[in-house]
Amino acid sequence: MKKLYSNKLVIFSLILPGLLLFIFAILAPICLSIYYGFTNYTGMGTYDMIGLENYKNLLHDEAFAISLRNSLLLAIGFICIQHPIAMIIAAVLDKLGGRAESFFRCVYFIPNVISIAVIAKLWGFIYNPNFGLLNNIVKAFGGKGDINWLDEKNAIWSVLIVLIWHGFGWGMLIYYTGIKNIDPTLYEAASIDGASQSQTFLRVTLPLMKPVIQVNVTMAVISALKQMETVYLLTQGGPGNSTQFAANYLYQQGFTAYRYGYGNAIGVIFIIICLIATVALNKVFEDRDEVRMRKHERDEEKRRNAMRKSVTVKNKLNSIKAVG
Amino acid sequence: MRRITKIMSTALTVAMASTMLVGCGDTSTGTAAKKGDDGQVTIKLFSNLTDRKNGQGLVEQTIIDEYMKDNPKVKIEVEALDEEAYKTKFKAYSMSGMPDVVSIWGQPAFLDEVVEAGVLAELNPADYSDYKFVEGSLTGYTYDGKLYGLPRNTDIGVFYYNQKMFEDNGWEVPQTYDELLGLADKINEKGIVPVAMDGGDGWPLCVYLADVLFKITGTDYTSTVSNAIKTGDFSAPELKKATELLKATSDANLFQKGYDTQDYGAAMNLFTNGQAAMFYMGSWETSMATNEDIAEDIRTNIRVFTMPTVEGGKAAATDISAWNGGGYAVNANSEVKEEAIKFLNFMYQPDKLSKYGWENGVGLSAQDQSSYMTGNETELQKQIVDILSKSTNLSGTPINDQGTSAFKTSIESEIQSVCNGSKSVDDFLTAIGKACK
Repeated sequence: MKKLYSNKLVIFSLILPGLLLFIFAILAPICLSIYYGFTNYTGMGTYDMIGLENYKNLLHDEAFAISLRNSLLLAIGFICIQHPIAMIIAAVLDKLGGRAESFFRCVYFIPNVISIAVIAKLWGFIYNPNFGLLNNIVKAFGGKGDINWLDEKNAIWSVLIVLIWHGFGWGMLIYYTGIKNIDPTLYEAASIDGASQSQTFLRVTLPLMKPVIQVNVTMAVISALKQMETVYLLTQGGPGNSTQFAANYLYQQGFTAYRYGYGNAIGVIFIIICLIATVALNKVFEDRDEVRMRKHERDEEKRRNAMRKSVTVKNKLNSIKAVG
Repeated sequence: MRRITKIMSTALTVAMASTMLVGCGDTSTGTAAKKGDDGQVTIKLFSNLTDRKNGQGLVEQTIIDEYMKDNPKVKIEVEALDEEAYKTKFKAYSMSGMPDVVSIWGQPAFLDEVVEAGVLAELNPADYSDYKFVEGSLTGYTYDGKLYGLPRNTDIGVFYYNQKMFEDNGWEVPQTYDELLGLADKINEKGIVPVAMDGGDGWPLCVYLADVLFKITGTDYTSTVSNAIKTGDFSAPELKKATELLKATSDANLFQKGYDTQDYGAAMNLFTNGQAAMFYMGSWETSMATNEDIAEDIRTNIRVFTMPTVEGGKAAATDISAWNGGGYAVNANSEVKEEAIKFLNFMYQPDKLSKYGWENGVGLSAQDQSSYMTGNETELQKQIVDILSKSTNLSGTPINDQGTSAFKTSIESEIQSVCNGSKSVDDFLTAIGKACK
């Protein structure tokens, strides 16, 4: 069997399906996108190569700048609001135990189960300035209740709240699983040592959750960057471009404005930004101790090599002397 | 052991080869229909009318059924998608092969790119000389002097209003734009929305802007707009004045609160539930008068008036904002092109689309309908016909559909910004000018 696995043809055929999928579903579209990004293709008929024209226009495109700003805002919102709350709730859930635990776990996850189209319509009604729930609540508390939650100034915040609320369940569930996987003996040891609740959370739970946090935050940033469906259904990026997001803008330019080439240029920039974000996040989360250890190992290796070299040189010298 | 290795290697190689073959696929089954050996013909129709049991969709389906009954060897398959989705898929089809008969829009924003791509068949104008097309209605479907499609409707931009509500409160139908603005406060006082506006979509605001602009420029409307689009310079005083009027209208709270984020359905509901006194929309909504989902005391009291005159404007009260929107065309590369054109011509025989459309109250067709009047029409329908027959000038295509689709996308989004004040009138005009270059 070992021999079978070391047969190159077998190895090749085993990775082939995955490789094909990667080539045709990811690599080829990216290459095509790069190619079309240099053209003025409308999506139909013929087209010309126009070099970097699309990218130049993109630099001065106000709507694209707004969409990137909004993606950044959303990413910050995810990291600074959604995730801390998700983690705390996951930790509380873990301590709850019994029926209450599964009940609340279920309740907090519900927004994720509902289809995005429903969510968008639902919040559309909640925010409606004429008969929406939110304004009625404001009225009940004695306010005037005539706030337009989706106007140019408020829209982006209203949209962010929906997105943070909607994605909350996922984050919480992953944190919850992460917490459940922590060895309970560690908590026992901590309590024997007399650690308080908050100390246990900060010194035991948090450090051990690091890989989970890393995955969750990376996913949150990527999902902030590629946000599209909710915005498309809730505001279509409006009013004006105030709630525009990169993916929605890409769709609008590529498919409704018939600027397929320009849409592809946006796509290329988009891929680059996603890559940079991922690499940067990996750098941020890189384990400092591990890095130090790896560096130490490398130095050690170098030292050993150097020593080995000097030993052989000495030996050679010795043998020459002996011959002499 | 070696034998097993060999067998397994072979098996895996076969598996690999088969995955590759799947990738190649079968390219012989395109979207366009084919002629069978027995003379059986299948025509594929791609339509933007998803509701096949009401209104326009019902009319289309009735004609299809009739045609198949008359021609047992012809089978017509319908694929219908909503407008947004339709336009997206249309584009995908144009790259991979289109269905035989398709819905199109006779406006530069849609037609120019499609015709340039060479996907639409040229039609012979002489075939339609006795089809009673309203004068000028084929213009939008003509490109470089060649005819590429036929219009289905004549659309008019109108204010629907609740007559009973107006009478009960002593409001009058405005004759001038100032009177219309004056109504805003009076109606708001009663806790009623003056005009329900679908501002979330952008295009109704553009139609409104075009309507106001037409009242200012009169018959110079088309040249003013096309000049601006050609040069990317929207600084003409008429354009500026029209935009300022629109902004003033928004500031006067003529439209409902948050109109720039509400969609078609939400705006229409305000009107049909009696929460709004007026509703600005195209004449295709005349079927509201027969829609039993709307309460009777509202449905029977719906009337219309057109945009009132603007002070200093060149257009008279009877100059109306009207254009020919949707229609049909045939795929240039269809294998059953002749059969498809035959079917297209059948649909446009004066006693088909036009007559059935009239009977179903789906608004005005692009053909002369006067001979189908029975006297049993709703008041609303009669009023619309009256408006059209008494009209002295028609505006033509709304401003957003006169440029490229990039211009359309830009103006439909920027117009929300100028209405809600986050962009100044000048910035708006510069921004949409930029989209033309």
